[in-house]
Amino acid sequence: MILGLQLIAILFSLSLIYLALLNYRRKEIDKSEFVSWTAIWSLTIFVVIFPEILRSFAQRFFITRLFDMLVVGGFVLVIFMVARIYVKIRKMENKFEEYVRKDALKDEKKK
Amino acid sequence: MNIYIVIPTFNEERHIKNVLKDVAKHKLPIIVVNDGSVDKTSQVLSKLKVKSEKLMVLTHRVNLGKGAAMKTGAEAAFSRGADAVIFMDSDGQHKASDLPKFIKALESGKYGIIFGSRVLTHGVPLVRFLGNKFASILISVLFGIYVSDLICGYRAITRNSYEKIKWESSGYAVETEMAIKTAKYGIKYCEVPVETVYLDNVKGVTILDAINILTNVIAWRIKI
Repeated sequence: MILGLQLIAILFSLSLIYLALLNYRRKEIDKSEFVSWTAIWSLTIFVVIFPEILRSFAQRFFITRLFDMLVVGGFVLVIFMVARIYVKIRKMENKFEEYVRKDALKDEKKK
Repeated sequence: MNIYIVIPTFNEERHIKNVLKDVAKHKLPIIVVNDGSVDKTSQVLSKLKVKSEKLMVLTHRVNLGKGAAMKTGAEAAFSRGADAVIFMDSDGQHKASDLPKFIKALESGKYGIIFGSRVLTHGVPLVRFLGNKFASILISVLFGIYVSDLICGYRAITRNSYEKIKWESSGYAVETEMAIKTAKYGIKYCEVPVETVYLDNVKGVTILDAINILTNVIAWRIKI
């Protein structure tokens, strides 16, 4: 029997698959990105419905409760993504700053 | 010695004219970097530029921050053969009458960087005074350099020193980064007392900027 929490997780995953589809249709992401996101969220749905398949994996890391493992895994994933986004934004900021500054200096040379 | 004045500015339509008038008395070339102002600063600068040959105006199409504007101004000055630049704020806080102190220190050839130090006991809001002192002590403990007025924007730098310490900060953290890198590269520095007038309570370093600077200080302690 599927619990309420599982139902929410499934609905959340389905809506994110739909979001990926919308992004793909708008050409905001390419085919490989769409396939990757769909695979990730499909796998999440599978794990949510059959959490027992992770039991042996959790035991290998001496984690007794499955829920604890999912929480820890979620945190690791979030921290990884935040760090990655931070680096990307920093790179974009630097490029943007360089572009605006060069543009200002170029304008003066023209005059 | 070929010295340029660099003035970064952002939305200073009220003060920039008087600041430039004041500075022009010293007959030094001036570079104003208009950092994406959205008020009438551009128009004011265009009018002044027509009248003065010594004035050069550079424009950032969008607001990048004080550090980035200072960098643009410094690079423009050094590419035109400047030996040193003096940075001033555009809000009328700094007095051009203090410029000779910087010029004298630069011409002595002893110093790579000259920090302006405001007399912090007179006319400076208490919160700013305490924050400034805390920052000076923190930087002294972490990096071994004590600058009594760490965030004063009135300062001078020679070409050689600039090449060494080219800052990365695009915002208000630039002043702190300059001090930290001065210590790192062992650049000789001195402080000169400057007068200051607080005209605008809203502008300048805010509490958010202070938090940002503090975060940067921790990052620099790890990196530098």
